Amino acid sequence: MKPDLMEILCCPLCRADLQLTTRKTEGPEIVEGVLTCTKCGTEYPIEDGIPNLLPPDERD
Amino acid sequence: MTTGVEPPEFDLTVRAKVRERYGPAAAGGDSCCGSGSCCGASGASSCGDSLGYSAQELSALPEGAFLGLGCGNPTALQGIAPGESVLDLGSGAGVDCFLAARRVGDTGRVLGVDMTPEMVARARDNARKGGFGNVEFRLGEIEHLPVADRSVDVVISNCVINLAPDKGQVYREAFRVLRPGGRLLVSDLVATRPISAEARRDLERWAGCSSGALSTEETNERLRTAGFRDISIVRRSLETTPATLAPADELGVVPVGIVAVRPVQVPVP
Repeated sequence: MKPDLMEILCCPLCRADLQLTTRKTEGPEIVEGVLTCTKCGTEYPIEDGIPNLLPPDERD
Repeated sequence: MTTGVEPPEFDLTVRAKVRERYGPAAAGGDSCCGSGSCCGASGASSCGDSLGYSAQELSALPEGAFLGLGCGNPTALQGIAPGESVLDLGSGAGVDCFLAARRVGDTGRVLGVDMTPEMVARARDNARKGGFGNVEFRLGEIEHLPVADRSVDVVISNCVINLAPDKGQVYREAFRVLRPGGRLLVSDLVATRPISAEARRDLERWAGCSSGALSTEETNERLRTAGFRDISIVRRSLETTPATLAPADELGVVPVGIVAVRPVQVPVP
């Protein structure tokens, strides 16, 4: 994912803003990292460049 | 004909079934209308045409972006302007995102949300192959969108909302993320006659885009309740039912184009 799309993302549970922690980048892309809800604290992983924003009980 | 009132375990079972069906469909995308699609087993060459895509549109897309899983061409329902932001509900391998991306241009952006990991991975690969710098994909659920309030101009969706256990919730979420004046452009299926409780419980048929469909009246009611106005639900005129839609046709389920607007003024209930 690219960081410029952060502004339109939100937590799917409480709809608060997400905070980005970058662990690995490739060019402009964040390929590994975490998006953390600033309100409920739920963490959403970014793996292989894809943010997993499924509600936690819907994850495999 | 009720949906959205089933117990939560039904919702989870439906979602698991839909993922089970569309995960493998992501891998087998070289021919349109594979066994995992809404489509029948035939009609590959004419599939794009019968769904409302021009050959010119499809030829400009990365190979494998078009899986033939839709039931229309939502980006053709109404104009999408340069600079607009577009959200695709159930973006699959990305075909409609890429068509929208061409319309919004470099100053616009497109976000695709899909709950099937294989589809999102494939869509991302397709975006890279096609050099689409203005398109991104997220794993997410359309009944709980990971998208901020009033942040997009257009919400599109193609043959996906019928799969959702709670369509009203999907429309409320679409309304929430649209800016006032924003448009909903949906290709989907509606039921022209009542669907039996037995068919509703048939997860194969539900995941195959037929037994989860609501009637036109029910769709209109859910859109209005969500807050949408200027609603139009128009049956696509087809000279013959393409093989692609035959399974739905057996249940009296037909393709429609749905257009609705989030009003600038708060609507009076």
